[in-house]
Amino acid sequence: MADFIQLFINGLALGSVYALAAIGFVIVYSATGVVNFAAGQFVMFGTFAGVAMLANAGLPWPVGYAAALLAMAAFGALFFIVVYLPLRTSPVVTVIIGTVAVGIVMQNAALLGFGSWPFRLVSPLEGITIDIGGAAISAHAAMVVVVTGLLVGLIWLLFYRTALGIGMRAVAQDVEAARLMGLNVNRLLALSWMLAAVLAGIAGLLLGPMWFADVNMGDPIALKAFAATIIGGFGSLPGAIAGGLFVGLTELLGASYLSSAYKDLIAFAVMILFLLVRPQGVFGERIQDRG
Amino acid sequence: MTMTRQGFLRLVLAASVAPVGAGLALAQQGDILVGATVPITGPLSLTGKQYHNALQLAEQDINAAGGVNGRKIKIVFEDTQASNSTAVNAFMKLAQETKPAFYFLSSYSTQNLATSPELKKIAVPAMYAGGADIVAEGGNEWLFRVRPADAVSARGMVEAAKLLNAKKPGIIFIQNDFGQGGAQIAAKQFEAAGTPVVGMEAYGQNDKDFSAQMISLRGKGADVILLFNYPQDGALLLRQAKMLGLKMPLVTSSAALVPAALQLISPADLDNVWGVVDAYMDPSVGGRMAEFVARYKKAFGIDPDPYGLAYYDGALIMAEGMRKVGLDPKALRDWLVNLRDWPGIGHVYTFDAKGNGVSDLAIVKARSGTKTLELVKAVKLD
Amino acid sequence: MRRYHSLLAAVAILALGGLLSLVLADYRLRLLNVSVISAIAVIGFNFAFGLAGLISLGHAAFVGLGAYTLAILSTAFGWSPWLAIPVAILVTTLFAGLIGYPLLRLRGHYLALATLGLNVSFTIVVTNWISLTGGTNGISGIPELRLGAFAFNDERRFLWLGLVLLALCAAFAVTLQRSRYGRAMMAVRDDETAARMTGIDVTRVKITALCLSAAFAALSGTLFATHVRFVAPEDFNYAHSIIYLAMLIVGGEGAVAGAVIGAALLTFLPEWLRFLGDAYLAFFGLMLLAILIFLPTGLVGLAAQLRRLGGHREAETTS
Repeated sequence: MADFIQLFINGLALGSVYALAAIGFVIVYSATGVVNFAAGQFVMFGTFAGVAMLANAGLPWPVGYAAALLAMAAFGALFFIVVYLPLRTSPVVTVIIGTVAVGIVMQNAALLGFGSWPFRLVSPLEGITIDIGGAAISAHAAMVVVVTGLLVGLIWLLFYRTALGIGMRAVAQDVEAARLMGLNVNRLLALSWMLAAVLAGIAGLLLGPMWFADVNMGDPIALKAFAATIIGGFGSLPGAIAGGLFVGLTELLGASYLSSAYKDLIAFAVMILFLLVRPQGVFGERIQDRG
Repeated sequence: MTMTRQGFLRLVLAASVAPVGAGLALAQQGDILVGATVPITGPLSLTGKQYHNALQLAEQDINAAGGVNGRKIKIVFEDTQASNSTAVNAFMKLAQETKPAFYFLSSYSTQNLATSPELKKIAVPAMYAGGADIVAEGGNEWLFRVRPADAVSARGMVEAAKLLNAKKPGIIFIQNDFGQGGAQIAAKQFEAAGTPVVGMEAYGQNDKDFSAQMISLRGKGADVILLFNYPQDGALLLRQAKMLGLKMPLVTSSAALVPAALQLISPADLDNVWGVVDAYMDPSVGGRMAEFVARYKKAFGIDPDPYGLAYYDGALIMAEGMRKVGLDPKALRDWLVNLRDWPGIGHVYTFDAKGNGVSDLAIVKARSGTKTLELVKAVKLD
Repeated sequence: MRRYHSLLAAVAILALGGLLSLVLADYRLRLLNVSVISAIAVIGFNFAFGLAGLISLGHAAFVGLGAYTLAILSTAFGWSPWLAIPVAILVTTLFAGLIGYPLLRLRGHYLALATLGLNVSFTIVVTNWISLTGGTNGISGIPELRLGAFAFNDERRFLWLGLVLLALCAAFAVTLQRSRYGRAMMAVRDDETAARMTGIDVTRVKITALCLSAAFAALSGTLFATHVRFVAPEDFNYAHSIIYLAMLIVGGEGAVAGAVIGAALLTFLPEWLRFLGDAYLAFFGLMLLAILIFLPTGLVGLAAQLRRLGGHREAETTS
């Protein structure tokens, strides 16, 4: 039983990271219709923003975290101007490949800046473990689960209880109508990209101490986040969370009870199965010609 | 001056396909050219930079010692990146444009497996530090290995487990040529010793959480766990083992003990951990080892690892061979085949019929409360 | 007219490639071989992506399936590689047809993610099915292609074989593109509903496009295997699918010439830009993005635009 609790909580922590990456992905998709194949590299940038502020610049951790997230917000705005605006009117295929290209640029820019040497980001809760029913849970992993839960709540409040969030949703539904209603559409779209970048940044900062930071970490995260999004449902926040937790738990429980060699196949097989049988996922949008 | 139309056409065509970097004469007249295909960029460069450095150091040292009978050597590097086909391209470029008298190939076995048929065609001797046994089994008489083969490392790890009195060993391995190969050999060795493994668990190259694998082996009652890993995941494995509170000793392969991995972990993570390294590279050994470590660190600002040392030794062996028998590939190859007990810094080299030059390694553990490795036992396998 | 165009494509490839094969030395011949092998895969990819508009991020899995089928048949079972090539193509095409039925109901990013998942799954399976595929050690010792005493064992000879096959593939692709089937594929790409209204069997057209693309991919894979004579899982991971896609985008989607030019260019570019070192891939990504923004029809489209511009000016001066 202790073993199961251990695996379950570790799986939740892993799944929370995937869920956060998936939420960033979903926010961009809902607001702008863009499938961001660079989503994993956004998370990697978040981790390295942390490395730059905490390890390299030596800032104390609250200041360092804030500085890293500010940097991510700025990056989201930059991405909006340099990549999204020029490709806004292009066919969806072009945009998809455009984000793939940007992902390649981001990964290799990080390689040029930080080298291939891996980094260790120290957690503010370094070395503390909690005993739950005989399972040793690192305090950091527990924090990841809690922070993810809090963030999801905050995002919900933003989208459903503030004028800003309601405006963002309006833009997501119908750009023209939003414009006619006098909303500053470009500003709201830019905000969506910044929000997605900040969320990816938080995911990056949270996973930095659990794993090590290296410039190749983006793609594996993105693959899992994609699987999470498909399983949960494209364009759905609860779906991204459920999908992320599902992928994280399958990875650990699958490795434990089925096969450690084929555990990743389970997540992707479920993803493909969902695509074939229920492409809208558990919570997702009704399939439409948006893609 | 006349130029035939055909000659002109040839020039134009060649220029159109090769606008940059076409066949510049890189070396001064009279230098002996040596080719090296090394992952200098991309994710594999973490290891590749080590021997990129070490080969440059060897080049300086050989030339400072008078070169090869008065002629200087010049090592020409080509980047293999992280791709098999780029590795073959890099090799072909050297073979075509530089025409070296000797090669150093990458330490990544799949890159060498891809390059091996081309090397055989060109018929020039080459040294490499990749571990996979299959490279030597391919029957290419031009390939010489200057590191312990994975089979040797795996047997060394089994030896360490026996010293730890393992009755129910478990194995965790990375899903690549090194991990899959090493784990299978180790399992066979345990089987032969009458202590079969209680479980073998795999993980992917990009995995970040190993609790399922470790808990599974703990549940099966493993009393020693062998870890076949690469640097970064190796460091993560050691950390998570401590976090999970695993009590049994761990035996890790050398990758988790290279400088890039050690900087990621704390001394506590090395508690109750043994490891197998190609060569015990502590300055306390003294002599040429201490001198090599100090000079490498001074030149490149990082600690050397066993890969770098292997290529350094390899280059010195090559220079000696060239001094003795000249540059004829066949003669050089025969000299290497017949080389016995050549005293390098890391090992004493003797090449067997399959071109394996190293059959010894060191079992080490961290001095309590530090990350300094101390020698448990030097192992010689035959 | 139709025959003339396909003939032209084949003759152009044979003439230019043949000429290059005589003047270039081994190393660049090798790169040309790599280009030719990629070009066949990219021409195939053009059926699915350029003509029928299917965004696939899993093309490398088809190349890999072809390569592995040949590698296994010719090593473990001792088949002649000549015999293994058609079998590999058949196996891959059947596989594409089989997965195509359920998969091709998806569109846009759903299809992109599904095919990406397919490619990742392919890598996981060939990595772990050690008894069949040798795992990450791959399969070495694949026999060379030979005709009687004539072995295609050096770069020049292999290039001749590759060029003939590429010329045949290009001629076939040009013919098909200008045929009723090609137009049907493009109609499906442009507007599925409208295509259906005009009586086109959309599902069949899509599956045909996917099967054709898989068949060409498999041929490319068998050539890869007999050229390098070694295959490993990482040679066919999803990063390679993205490269095939980039080749087509750079060259110009929807055009056979674009596929060939893109494949050659992106094979030679890393060699020309070797001095960039670690910065090459960053440059590559920026270049791809710039082409998407400023040259959405690729190099072939640029050439056509320039020609039109030139023609326009001529017309002005004569009037």
